[in-house]
Amino acid sequence: MLTTTTITEFEEVLGTEAVVTDPVALRSYECDGLTGYRVTPALVLLPSTAEEVAACVSVCAREDIPFVARGAGTGLSGGALPVAQGVVISVQRLRRVLSIDPDNRRAVVEPGVTNADISRAAAPYGLYFAPDPSSGQVCTIGGNVAENSGGAHCLKYGFTVHHIHAVDVVLPDGTLTRLGSHAPHQAGYDLLGAFIGSEGTLGIAVRIEVRLLPRPAAWRTLVADFDSLEAAGDTVTDIIAAGIVPAAIEMMDSLSIEAVEAAVAAGYHRDARAALIVELDGPHQEVASQFAEIQRLCRDHGCTHLRVAADADERAVIWKGRKAAFAAVGRISPDYLVQDGVVPRTRLAEALTRIARLADAAGLRVANVFHAGDGNLHPLVLYSEAAGQHDRAEHLSTSIAELCVELGGSLSGEHGIGTDKACSMPRQFDADSLATMRRLRTAFDPHDLCNPGKVLPTPRLCGERPGPYQPHPLETAGVIERM
Amino acid sequence: MAISGTELHTCPATPAELRTVLADTVADHPKVRIAGAGTAAEWAAPPAPADLVVDTRALRGIVRYNPADMTVAVRAGTPLADLRRELAAQGQRIAFDAPRADAGATIGGLIATADAGPAQQAYGTLRDLVIGMTIVLADGTVARSGGHVIKNVAGYDLAKLFQGSLGTLGVMAEVVLRLHPLPRAGATLRLARTAAEAVAVGRRVMAGALEPAALEWCRNHLLVRFEGGQEGVEDRLSAAARLAGAPGDVLRDEEEAAAWRPVHEVTLGRPGDTVLRIGTLPGRGSRLIEAADALAARCAVETDATSSVGVGAHTVRLHTGDPAARARFLTTLRAEAAALDALVTVRRREGLPDGTDVWGPPPPTVPLMRAVKQQFDPADRFGAGRLAPWL
Amino acid sequence: MSETTDPPQPGTSSFDDHHPPARNLLDDCVHCGFCLPTCPTYVVTGEEMESPRGRIYLMDLAAKGEIPLNDAFGSRIDSCLGCLACTTACPSGVQYDKLIEAVRPQLERNVPRTPTDRFFRAAIFHLFPHPGRLRLAALGGIAYRALGIRALLHRLGVIRRLPARLRALEALLPPVTLRDLLRRTPSHVPAAAAAPAGLRVGLLAGCAQRVFFGDVNAATIRVLAAEGCEVYVPRDGQCCGALSMHAGREDDGLERARRTIDMFERHDLDIVVTNVAGCGSTLKEYGALLADDPDYRERAAAFSARTRDISELLAELPPLATRHPLPLRVAYHDACHLANAQRIRSQPREVLRAIPDLEVADIAEAEICCGSAGIYNLVQPEKAEELGRRKAASLHAARPEVIATANAGCLLQIRRHIGEDVPLVHPVQLVDASIRGVHPFRDSAKRRLPHD
Repeated sequence: MLTTTTITEFEEVLGTEAVVTDPVALRSYECDGLTGYRVTPALVLLPSTAEEVAACVSVCAREDIPFVARGAGTGLSGGALPVAQGVVISVQRLRRVLSIDPDNRRAVVEPGVTNADISRAAAPYGLYFAPDPSSGQVCTIGGNVAENSGGAHCLKYGFTVHHIHAVDVVLPDGTLTRLGSHAPHQAGYDLLGAFIGSEGTLGIAVRIEVRLLPRPAAWRTLVADFDSLEAAGDTVTDIIAAGIVPAAIEMMDSLSIEAVEAAVAAGYHRDARAALIVELDGPHQEVASQFAEIQRLCRDHGCTHLRVAADADERAVIWKGRKAAFAAVGRISPDYLVQDGVVPRTRLAEALTRIARLADAAGLRVANVFHAGDGNLHPLVLYSEAAGQHDRAEHLSTSIAELCVELGGSLSGEHGIGTDKACSMPRQFDADSLATMRRLRTAFDPHDLCNPGKVLPTPRLCGERPGPYQPHPLETAGVIERM
Repeated sequence: MAISGTELHTCPATPAELRTVLADTVADHPKVRIAGAGTAAEWAAPPAPADLVVDTRALRGIVRYNPADMTVAVRAGTPLADLRRELAAQGQRIAFDAPRADAGATIGGLIATADAGPAQQAYGTLRDLVIGMTIVLADGTVARSGGHVIKNVAGYDLAKLFQGSLGTLGVMAEVVLRLHPLPRAGATLRLARTAAEAVAVGRRVMAGALEPAALEWCRNHLLVRFEGGQEGVEDRLSAAARLAGAPGDVLRDEEEAAAWRPVHEVTLGRPGDTVLRIGTLPGRGSRLIEAADALAARCAVETDATSSVGVGAHTVRLHTGDPAARARFLTTLRAEAAALDALVTVRRREGLPDGTDVWGPPPPTVPLMRAVKQQFDPADRFGAGRLAPWL
Repeated sequence: MSETTDPPQPGTSSFDDHHPPARNLLDDCVHCGFCLPTCPTYVVTGEEMESPRGRIYLMDLAAKGEIPLNDAFGSRIDSCLGCLACTTACPSGVQYDKLIEAVRPQLERNVPRTPTDRFFRAAIFHLFPHPGRLRLAALGGIAYRALGIRALLHRLGVIRRLPARLRALEALLPPVTLRDLLRRTPSHVPAAAAAPAGLRVGLLAGCAQRVFFGDVNAATIRVLAAEGCEVYVPRDGQCCGALSMHAGREDDGLERARRTIDMFERHDLDIVVTNVAGCGSTLKEYGALLADDPDYRERAAAFSARTRDISELLAELPPLATRHPLPLRVAYHDACHLANAQRIRSQPREVLRAIPDLEVADIAEAEICCGSAGIYNLVQPEKAEELGRRKAASLHAARPEVIATANAGCLLQIRRHIGEDVPLVHPVQLVDASIRGVHPFRDSAKRRLPHD
């Protein structure tokens, strides 16, 4: 339990200036990028070194105090939501790029370094860090590791888990250990792989050895406008079927385009029903020939306008528009919810039709921004808090996520389960699967102190939901099975 | 089911049968060994005697394949080679080329052994291609993680635990894999180079952003493979030759396959061979290979090696020398490796004295591995011996 | 722990009724955090409540009556430099400038400051906006340096024992020469060349500017004249109100705005030009600030529409005078009140790049404030010092031969942290030197450039 003695102990470890006790200041930590859930923490700690993090966690473990790690607080699933009577451990003072090894194409960084700063530090060596979540200017690599962040370019380059060699982790008992290794092919279970994407529930990453890639020799970017989402979707299918793996294929519908233009004037056409952003990167000749093919495919599907980025500046403007899309929706709606679900690419059109139907039924508008290449949808549910539409919007948003599961997809492609979707997890995973996931968590955190209440549903959080949590009697008897 | 010796041998053909057989044998046959095609039977630490052998070879076939989604769900006992044929008919592939696949290895077996081939340069290992998995635990619990879509962060990725698990956690029933298009063209540039030169050339090819599909050094030749469009591949072959400062040999089709054959031979080893796997920082790889060469002469063993120079993954094969000499080679090489932050493990343990430590110095995560094992298999049913002495 | 000691009434705003932050402006913030890496105080502290997002969150709670207006809240608002880098980064278009300007007077009115704080702030406001007093103080400063008092006090360790704020004031004192101090700017300078536009331009001489940077004003006048402008410099020198507005002293600021408008209206000008970014941003806000004043509403709007920063004007004017080469590597530092408040980023660079042989170097963390920010470096010295050091490191890393920036406060702050080895100038001084074909640095001003 947190007592004044414990607070004094934290102050001795970190210095008073790194322990936030002021009630007003504490309130600024009560939510992350998802403001719908708010819990004021009892204490915020701002350690400056890995060893200080370990010391903080050791005290928490000894005193049975729940703790939540926090990076930039940009997460959209409430993954950094504090625990009442618990401690928030911010990594915002661990912001050093410790080393860059250009020969072996890797960097060692602290968890509070922003995603974009890694690439910035690597740039003088012609290298960069491939995962590029839209919030890359802000979000931290520690958060990326926790969420296994992707980004627009993950179609070709994969996710954070594919770009990490090793992570020094403070385990929930305060031990500082290393997952993964300098050298490839460490024997034994891939605990590093299991840790990445565990949403801060298995420990706190305090030093991260990332893989850097040489900057591509060439890139080409285009924006193709279409009269319908279907035409745009068919184009995506044909691009993939042609055996091309673009670095990114993004799609925005007319509402999103309107918002983006209002916010950053990136030169998208407001009259387009759908805009596809396709980017290729790689060796010169490969890019040149595939880009010609993609342009042909766009025209074959009746694209109404084709804009090819003439230079790096125009490319940057196009991406700035796309990456600002979430926040830009604030320009066209007083309030909105960001959803994140995945459907198999072949069911994109069906998903969009059904989302539109759900939106109509709820009497709300939904803007769609998505990573079309991998079926990752980001429906933005527009509503007005003042008009009392909040509950309806929440319900619609949840229905959309669960629709994705029904279509053979997933509740989340990149934002994580966090607090927001823990109660929807039984839609995607049966009770035995969830219980097995719980076994992994227990192996790391037997006392449930590390970011409790996230990812896995708990009766306290989700109410006593019958069904998904209990094996059916026939199942127990071996008459039926869920496979 | 069949009894051989004291071991009960079972070949479940469906996940349901697998689950039933495990649930039903908890009391009578507590110790279980999981077997696939047997291509890695001589790998890693030897299995302890078991009461039950779960043979996964009947657990085969595609469960779900929609080519347009570029994912496939298969039963874990499916040989990768079989799956390749089915996918190739649709112009697709699993971007994974561990030589053992040609010998009939199953998908599950390739995951459990954390196997890898030269394509890890561009695509990583199966760990990076598995997007979903269904597993059956010792008590018959069936659990699923991941799913059928490539991008998916819902829940913990239990499949990662099975990468390199050597049958110690549970049985893989189904695996969902991400697919890639078959490249339209591919060719290899072969250059005569020492290990150190190969590392330098490999670095230049990568820094030149030529995106090689593989960079393998074997028997004093560097093999640089490119895949992609016809023009793109040609372009990159000549660019790589320029960067290497020599024209090299451009190899295609049969010639190309022949050039890669030594890599397969070294990696697989022949009966009686000892095969070691070494991981280094890419830039330090040649130092370790050179150290191994020098050491071979001192220990009176003959070796050859193959290196994925861009990754820092190396395989060293010992094909002569008595067990004592080989053990001496292993111990000394490990000592040199430690100074370079490198890892040396035994893949094929043949030719080594019984009781050889196949894994080397334990990583700091051994206590965590034990905790995971304890949670997933508290009764210690699975895979006794394979990860000894860590587990 | 999460309970405040003096719980306010939930639901009732803790702000008073005089222009509290508008609800719709607070609601614009979606808590995305894109502002965080651009915020100087967040960069230094890593604390959420020291970020724009955190401050807006607290403003929102205060507006909902969930937290009181107290020191804990006030100190977070005080620590904001008002650099407005966050408004540039914000994809949702949050008008943080309006929010912070609404909240500062609320705190001035409703949260009593400690006596020393009150005294120090009052002293600043009795000094800086008044060129006469400032000149006197600077004269004292010259004596202080010239007579060796400064060196003596440093040697004796007296400076080290001063409170941080006084230490900051002491260190900021620029090396003003007696000649600078006694220089009077001419009130009217005719165009040196006939220009098609033939603009009548009024220059705001500034308060601190005219005392510490008389040479910048002189250069500005010469360049304008060379570019065919007729230049007027109204004499009735007083502060434009920027310092007061940035610190939440609203009434004082508005009164100064009215007097500034009166002063320039006497000259029938096409353009009002300023070479101080902080002044310029306030001049451009007069229209909005005086919107409630029926007598001044329209005049203020017209005044703001006529206002230009010197770089902005030079980028608009077709170049008339020949530029001589200046083979120099220049690091251009974006003054927040130019880059963020006025969105003037490209123009100063364009104007500099128009000088033959001059190279403009990029610097790291260009969007992060140097820590000057009006009177910030005087009232929040610790954070300002860290920011100053950080900025100096970024500037040094760019290996410049000269550093240019378009704001008096930035010049003072950077000069303090960069040391003596790299000269600091206003961009217009480089333009002036190029047009005149002389070396730009004051110490060697008489030396002709070798290629002339």
